[in-house]
Amino acid sequence: MQYFLAGGGGLLSFETGFGIWVLISTLLFLWAMNKWLVPPIMKALKEREATIKTSLESAEKALARAEEVSRDNEKALKEAEIAAQKIRKQAIEEAELLRTERIEKSKAEADKLLTDARHVIEQEKKRALNELRNEVAQLAVEGASIILKSELDSAKNRELVNSYIEDLTKSN
Amino acid sequence: MSKLMRRAAAILLFLLAYSPDVIAADATDATDVNNDQESVIDVMGKVSNHDYFELPWTKVYLPRIFLSEGEWHVYKSTKSAVDSGEFEVSEAGLVRTNGAEITLDMSISSHLIYVWMGLLLTFIITFLVGNRYKSGVGRTTEPKGILQNMFEVLFVFIRDDIAKEFIPHNKYEKFVPYLFTIFMAITFMNLFGLLPWAAAATANLTVTATLAMITFVLTQVNASKDHWRHVFVFPGVPAWTRIILTPVEVLGLFTKPFSLAIRLFANMLSGKIMIVCILGLIFVFTDLFGAYVGVGSGVFWVLLTTALYFLKVLVALIQAYVFTLLSAVFIGMAAEEHHHEHDETSVAHAQNVQT
Repeated sequence: MQYFLAGGGGLLSFETGFGIWVLISTLLFLWAMNKWLVPPIMKALKEREATIKTSLESAEKALARAEEVSRDNEKALKEAEIAAQKIRKQAIEEAELLRTERIEKSKAEADKLLTDARHVIEQEKKRALNELRNEVAQLAVEGASIILKSELDSAKNRELVNSYIEDLTKSN
Repeated sequence: MSKLMRRAAAILLFLLAYSPDVIAADATDATDVNNDQESVIDVMGKVSNHDYFELPWTKVYLPRIFLSEGEWHVYKSTKSAVDSGEFEVSEAGLVRTNGAEITLDMSISSHLIYVWMGLLLTFIITFLVGNRYKSGVGRTTEPKGILQNMFEVLFVFIRDDIAKEFIPHNKYEKFVPYLFTIFMAITFMNLFGLLPWAAAATANLTVTATLAMITFVLTQVNASKDHWRHVFVFPGVPAWTRIILTPVEVLGLFTKPFSLAIRLFANMLSGKIMIVCILGLIFVFTDLFGAYVGVGSGVFWVLLTTALYFLKVLVALIQAYVFTLLSAVFIGMAAEEHHHEHDETSVAHAQNVQT
């Protein structure tokens, strides 16, 4: 029965001396924990958590930056493609233009050459005709003078011949 | 003859349960039967504080220290105290032969050894792991090994889920060592109670009351002004209600640590008593119906005890957790600073918005 009586060394009694022992040992231990044992652990954990946090953050930042860069790259690529297409188109157009221009130019040149040639031919023809006429006139005169020398005065004959040549050109 | 039978039963049971507890119980039982016919098994003897430290194979008698008539009397055991002629054995323990009062009994008792073992184990583990953290393992790298990982799980659990959760954020850090210490120490003390020959120091009201007292003192020392205002002044209630509310609140200050102490104590004590009683039924049955019935029913009792052991492991951890958690809750409640003005304005603001 005495086990349940308070103060009699029973179960529900508070044993003062034992309590003092427990208190002293616990307080001493708590002091040691507070002073030496736990702070380095807390610090280490905190440091590690901070490291993890910062590295996570920086990784996230790096990821965001990489994404941005890739987006920029894509954009630049697209722009470059568009520009290239534009340039190509322009080049084709220019080439076309150049070609037509050149063709026209050469055509014109050829035309000019042709007309020049015709012109020259015409002139040559005229000159040749003139020359031929003169030659013929000379020949006729020489022939007539030879005849006249032999029979008539050359003045009357020349007139005669000239009118003949005139007729000749007319009929020509 | 019956003594022989009982001995045989104990040996059989030892093979079944591998529980030295039973043998020890048998020993006390045998001597009890010789001395008086009252009890077959000494249940209370298994849970009360002793002047010896029991090991499976022997008893180590512990020093007795007394303060009597302003003088310290130190003996290496109860026997040497009696031999010195200054003390004699009585029903209530040792008393002075000359009739003088013992002012203080500072004897090293078995439960104190278990308290020390609990604290020492906590110390060793914390020290070992702390050194690892100091050397950089776990600081810059991940924690390595079972010990450090287990330790970190518990430590981070105490820090994040108990301290940070219930104590205001600017103050929680200084309570982590305390909360972690009581959690670990109580866990170890509880688990020691699972050893059949050992006892749980937490099944002693003195231990739990002392721990609760530390929590109480910590609570009051770190209490905020608001805490005291809520105990004595009660902002926002009619003045006359203080006649009722103040005594209730003051009482409430003391019931909190009281409940802490009783909860842990009763849980640990009941578990131990239950196991001792159920195993003791073997001897009760042997005494009543003979050895065959006792041993035969023993199979059932041992199975029941095994189931109870699982429960006790769970209870040991849960009670340590509950004690720590409630300590944190009490400290947090007292340390919290309320912002009445803000609350009131926010409420008024909300009302304005509603209308």
